[in-house]
Parts: sequence; C-alpha cells; structure tokens
Amino acid sequence: MPAYHSSFNDGGFRAIGNMALLPIKTKIRGPAPPAADPQQDDIIDEAIALFRANCFFRNFEIKGTADRVLIYLLLFIQESLGKLSKNPSQLEGQRTLQTHALQNFAIPGEAGFPLNAMYEKPANRNDADTLRQYLSQLRQECATRLVVKVYDGDRPSKWWMCFSKRKFMGLPNVGTAA
Amino acid sequence: MLIDLQPSNRILEEALRERFNGEAEKLQLKVADFDGVKYRLSTPESKTVLNISMAMRCFGELQRYGADAVLRREYGDMLESTPESGFDVTVRVDLQNLPQDKESLVRKLSLLKRNALAAPFEIAFNAQLEGRDSELMTIHYRDEEAYYIKAQHDRVTVIFSTIFKEETDRIFGKVFLQEFVDARRSPATQNAPQVLYSPREPPMELRGVPGVQESDWVGYVTFVLFPRHFTGPAAEGCISRIELFRDYLHYHIKASKAYMHSRMRTRVDSFLKVLNRAKPEQPDSQKEKKTASGKTFKRS
Amino acid sequence: MTNLPAVVIDNGTGYTKMGYAGNNDPQFIIPTTIATRETPSGNLAAKRGIEDLDYYIGDEAILNSKTYGINYPIRHGQVENWDLMEKFHQASIFQYLRCEPEDHYFLLTEPPLNPPENREYTAEIFFESFGAKGIYIAVQAVLALAASWTSGKADQTLTGTVIDSGDGVTHVIPVAEGYVIGSSIKHIPIAGRDITQFVQQLLRERENSIPPEDSLEVAKRIKEMYSYVCPDIVKEFKKYDSEPDKCFKKHEFLHSVTKKPYNVDVGFERFLGPEIFFNPEIASPDFLTPLPEVVDTTIQSCPIDTRRGLYKNIVLSGGSTMFKDFGRRLQRDITRIVDNRLKHYEVLSQANINKDQQIQPKMIDVNVVSHKRQRYAVWFGGSLLADTAEFYSYCHSKAQYDEYGPSIARFNRVFASIM
Repeated sequence: MPAYHSSFNDGGFRAIGNMALLPIKTKIRGPAPPAADPQQDDIIDEAIALFRANCFFRNFEIKGTADRVLIYLLLFIQESLGKLSKNPSQLEGQRTLQTHALQNFAIPGEAGFPLNAMYEKPANRNDADTLRQYLSQLRQECATRLVVKVYDGDRPSKWWMCFSKRKFMGLPNVGTAA
Repeated sequence: MLIDLQPSNRILEEALRERFNGEAEKLQLKVADFDGVKYRLSTPESKTVLNISMAMRCFGELQRYGADAVLRREYGDMLESTPESGFDVTVRVDLQNLPQDKESLVRKLSLLKRNALAAPFEIAFNAQLEGRDSELMTIHYRDEEAYYIKAQHDRVTVIFSTIFKEETDRIFGKVFLQEFVDARRSPATQNAPQVLYSPREPPMELRGVPGVQESDWVGYVTFVLFPRHFTGPAAEGCISRIELFRDYLHYHIKASKAYMHSRMRTRVDSFLKVLNRAKPEQPDSQKEKKTASGKTFKRS
Repeated sequence: MTNLPAVVIDNGTGYTKMGYAGNNDPQFIIPTTIATRETPSGNLAAKRGIEDLDYYIGDEAILNSKTYGINYPIRHGQVENWDLMEKFHQASIFQYLRCEPEDHYFLLTEPPLNPPENREYTAEIFFESFGAKGIYIAVQAVLALAASWTSGKADQTLTGTVIDSGDGVTHVIPVAEGYVIGSSIKHIPIAGRDITQFVQQLLRERENSIPPEDSLEVAKRIKEMYSYVCPDIVKEFKKYDSEPDKCFKKHEFLHSVTKKPYNVDVGFERFLGPEIFFNPEIASPDFLTPLPEVVDTTIQSCPIDTRRGLYKNIVLSGGSTMFKDFGRRLQRDITRIVDNRLKHYEVLSQANINKDQQIQPKMIDVNVVSHKRQRYAVWFGGSLLADTAEFYSYCHSKAQYDEYGPSIARFNRVFASIM
C-alpha cells in the first residue's frame, strides 16, 4: 500500500488555488471554518499521526485538494522537528516553534515555495491573502499541538527526533528560507 | 588446516553441549559416523534422562576382546547393562545430576566409538609391556575390511586390509601407501611407527588366518608399533590415530581427486579461451549479399 | 549398509543446512562461506605439499577472515565457483557430518531455474570425487511444499505457490503437481539482508550507543528477536504512543572488542523492518511492488486451470518468513486483491447481461500456510523424503553414473508423479 492520504479528500471543501480550506479546531482567528465535530480528528491531528509513517515514502500521489494541505503540514512538521533538534526545554521549544510559525513564509505561487509544480497560484489578491492567513493559522495551531506530542518530560522525545533527519519526498523544508 | 580427522563425533559433541547447558527437551536424533556406526540420542522416559545408543558392526568381536570392561571403566554407572534394541551400547545420562566439569563429560561421550574400539589395542599394549605374546585379534569393522592386532615380545603389529572398489582409487591408494613406506627416510618422521605395504598378498603374520583375502583389490598395510609409541600418555593418542587410519586414507584420496578436478577445470577454461579466439573468418564474398529485387545488404 | 540414514544437504546463498534424514532439524547450519589462502600468483601448478587442504568453511571461515580470503561460492542460489563448492562439500562431509560418502545416499537441493549443466557438475563432484552411493537433486520449492504437509491444515498436495525468502533474495515459485512452472517464477530483490540493513539505518539515526563495527550484528539480532508484522503502520504508531511500556523494549548487548555491556532501545523498527515486504519503497527507491501483488501477478500468469490450487496452498519457507503474523498479513492483502478483481469482473460482466441473469463468480479461497518448520522448510522436506523407502529407488545410483555418465543427473523424478 502506498503512502497514506488524507481522509478529507472527498469533503467538498472550498478550495483556494487547489488547496482545500479545511476546518480546524482552533481558537486562533483566521479564515478556516470551525470544525464540524470537535471529537473527530481534524487535518492537523491527521498530519501529526501520519507524519512518522509518511516519512518513509518517497512517492506521493495527490488524490485531492486536502492532500495538498496534508503535504504542507508534513513539511512544516519536519521543519519544526529540525528546529527542536537542539534539545531545548519545553517552554523554549514552544516559543521557538511559535516564532517559526509566525515567520514570513512563502505561499504557493511565490518564489520560495518548493512545491510550485503541484500547487496552483491563488487566482487573485484576495485569495492570496486568505490563503496566507489560512496557512498562518494552520502553522500556529500545528506548532502548539506538536509541542504537546513531541515533548516527553522536559526534552523532546527521541522517538520523534529521529525523524527530523528524514526527508519526506526528498524535499527540503518549506516556507522560511533561513 | 583440515589435514587431520578428529576422533570425537562433532554432532554428538554439539548436541550434548547444547543439552547440558540449556533446557531439557524431548529429543530424537539419528546420526551416522564413519565405518557404518550409527548413534541415536533420545529421551524415551523423561526429558531429563538422555539415552545415547550406538550400533557398531563389529561390536560382538569387540566384546570378546573386553570392550565391556573398557566402557565400564570410562562411563561407570552411566553404561546400561542391556542396550536399547537394535543397538549395541547404551549410555544413560541424567541431566539433573551432571558433574561439575560438563565439558569433559561431553568430550568423553562423543568419544564413544573410539572407546569401544580401544579394547583390543589395550590388551595388546598391556601384553607387550608384560613381555608376552598375545593372540591375533581380528576386528571386521567394515563389510569387506578388517584389521588385525598382535602383540609380540618387543612390538605390537597392527595390520589393515583395505579394499578399493574403484579402479582410480586403487591406483591412488597404491601410490599413497607406497609413500607411507618411503616417508620413513626423511629425518622428521624417524620416530613414527614403521609402515609396510604389500599390494596383494597378506603379510606373514596373517598366513593361515581364516577370512583373509588375496586379490587384486586388496592391499595390506602393516604398522609396527614400538613401546615408545604406546607407553604412558602416548597410548591414548596412538589408539585414536590408528583407529582413524582407514578413514584418513580415504579422505585424502578424495581430497586429491578433488584437487585433480580443480586442475582439470582450470585447464578446460584455458582451452575454452583458446577455442573462443579461433573463430573462422568470413570470406569476403559472403559479406555482401543480394536480394531478389536487386538491393544489396551486408551481413554484419 | 542400507540402514544408514541418507544425508540431506541444502546449500543456500546465505546458509547451508545439513544433517541426516529422519531428523526434525538440520544438525549443522553454517554460513556458505569458505576461507582460502590467497595464492600468490594464482598458479595451481605451484602447489607444494598440502596447501589445497588449507581452508576453513562456515563459522570457522568467518573467524579466520583476517588471515584468509573469504569467498561466497553461491550467489543468488546458484553455484558460481565449482572448485570452492567441491572443497566446501569435502569439508562438510568429512569434518562436520563425519560420514563415509561411499556408504551413503545424498539428497541435494537446487534453486529454481537451475541450468541442467549445474546438475551434471554436481553429479560429477559427488560420484567421481566422493564415490557416493547415490544422489537425488531436488527442487527447493517442491521440498518446501512437502514440508508443509506437517502443518495439518493442508491436504497433501504438490500443487501450491512457494514463497521462499532467505538471506539474499526472495522467490515466488508456483508448482503444479510437483512440476515447477518455470516461466512464472518471480524474484524479489528484498530479503533478510535488506531488512537488516534497513533496521541498521533506523538504529543509526536514533541510537548513539551502538559502536559502528557491531551495528550490523546488533541490527540482525534485533530483527530476529523483536520484529513482527503489523496490520497497519499508522495504527501501530498510535499504539506505541498510547502504550509505550508494552511496545518499546530494551536489549543489552556486549561490545565485541571492549566486552562492555551497553543498552539499546528497540522501537519502531520492530514493525518497520518486515513492513518493507509489503511497502518496498520505504527502504529502496528501485523496487516498488509489494509482495502480495507479486504473488498475485505470478499466479495470474500461470495456466488458468492451476490457479485455484495455487491460491489455496500458498506455502512459506525460509528464515525471512518467520516474522510473527507474516502469514496473516499476506493472506489478508492477497485476499483483498483477489476480491477486488472478482468484484470488478462482476461489474464488467453485469453490464452485458440482462438484469435477471446474475452471474456470481465463485469466491477464490486464499490460504497461506504457516508451520513450525518454516525456517528450514526445504531441509525438513528433504529429510522427510529421504526417510521414505522409495527414496532409494528415485536416486541416481553410482552404477548408473558409471554406465551412462553425468547426463543422467539432468532429470530427477518427482515423487508424486508415480502416485
């Protein structure tokens, strides 16, 4: 069986470019629709759960718009793990990731975005802005949840850190060129 | 180096070592050794009592020469008075009452065949050391081969009758055995026992002995052992080595055949290389051909 | 002396299994390696004395690897160097098994698609050098099928698909009535060694305490002791997060040089290792087809009347099939593929028929057979066959060899063909 895909692919969500605007359970403000069911996993939970498995795959067939969101999040998680590889304490780690999440990042269509081949440019200025806000929302929420998962005591758990060197799809990190 | 064959049975050794040092388990193992000897390791009654049985063709003769006493001496209580059916000797080991030194017990048990065959040798050695002659002892350890032991006042003579079924083996055997005789002359082997070889006729000591054959296929090898070869600690090694003589001889004959094979293969390879170079050249007229419609084409 | 047990020798790429017939396990399992002295000029004629006996085989070869040159005479199941193979057999018969070849019958094995010339060479070695009484060269797949009869679940048939996964390569071999369907055999370049390397890689990324020269050995041990096949890797990751005490393990190893103990944590590699059979791309960028798909393709390429029998009796053999739940996962995946295809057929055929005539294809029974003797299934099958009374009549005897020559070894009668 090939790599794991998102279960939201058939959701029929509104898409900008070809990235779906999926609902997330978050208190951070932004264009994402509120989650339909607070008990179920949303796309961020899915990304965190599928990250370790998908790390091993080099080929990923995009089956729908939600998959693109998934890929984006997976690359973001990989980058975050890289930032945590210096073993900071939990508080510091939290701060590092939040900073990283809010940093200037590239959206599909811009020069710094690594996957421009598979992502469409947003149609107009408005869409671009919405997309940027949406991605920013995703990043912050993901960072928060990631810290909870990865930290075991005061240091990151080595069962997560060993994946920081693996490159999903052989790709360099997304967003911040730092 | 693989020049020597070991007197102990490797499979027995490893199986016993595993049992002694590990868990007790049910076991049923069938093993063969040189000269048609069969072993069976089993746990018929309980997992902690191991039976080691051996079947040997010549055991009846060995018993006449006191094999029972030798085995009793080596294995003491572990030797069973009645062996398992189909076998000649049974040794019983209680896995819960092992002695401190398990290794030496393992070694002793894997020398079961050697110890059984040692009986007639010991009689001859003792007889010689006491200065008297012994009778001529015959042991038919294989279907058509036997060895004979006789002690005399100043030496012990062991005579092997060897049979080679294959023509090539016979020739190899003759050359080997001839070398044994000649090797005496080199200074390094001065202390070895004297070896005599007679290709067809049995030597003098065996004249008149029933069952001694005389034919093209049979050869007789005589070892003359002097007291320095078998007094004291040298006796054990001496017996082990002489017992394995026939197997040793055949092993080396097969090794030389294998060596011949590898020489042949190298030679064949070099011939093939030469053959591959010898391709006939295409005569020029055949290089270009014409089809019916007049087009020409070249045969590559 | 026909009551002497026959000798069964199974020479594989990684390991050679040998012993006497009638026993459950081989007496010796040694690596198929031979360590010889490097000849200075390679000129055989310069041999003096007994240099040709100066070599070691198996574990002793590996121990002496510093002073001798190591060779692997068998590659991908086939013998590459006959000189070394002859020496290997010589040592195994005289040093290990301790039997006089002139008194015994030998059962040897050959890999699938072995050229008939190789059988002739083998016969030459055994009859001319060793003077064996008789030999029988059996196909490894057929022996694995015979070994599966002891599982009690399958009926005794010589039709089935054998998945033989050893150290070097995995084969999928369909056998019908004892005859191998040669054109349908498939090789998968993933086997024990690849799993070990993958585990080694995972460990290297995470554990710092493993000394680099031991890492392959450590990986091998962890693979053999802790690995298992999981039904789904994402669920497995979740399980590891929720129940860490049950899933993560620790193992203590001894450093080979300093002899100091060190601890290694064992985690995800437990299920990721064997997973590469089912998802090869996680370890290798070249080979992408998972094992269940290869098995299905193989069976579909066989004659149509054999296919049901082949699905019904899928037999595992070889050390790399010993992972826990390997059979279950394989059965589940193959059944899924087969059922999908049948549904597809149903849909296609409905399109052309009236509504009242519903044609349902008969379900195909997929059955993967696991049994206790899987690891040495080929050897065990050989031991079973060589212990029967008919075995001696199937062997090629020395007399036949002397009369007709090595060409008699080209064909070996299959046991079932008489029944």
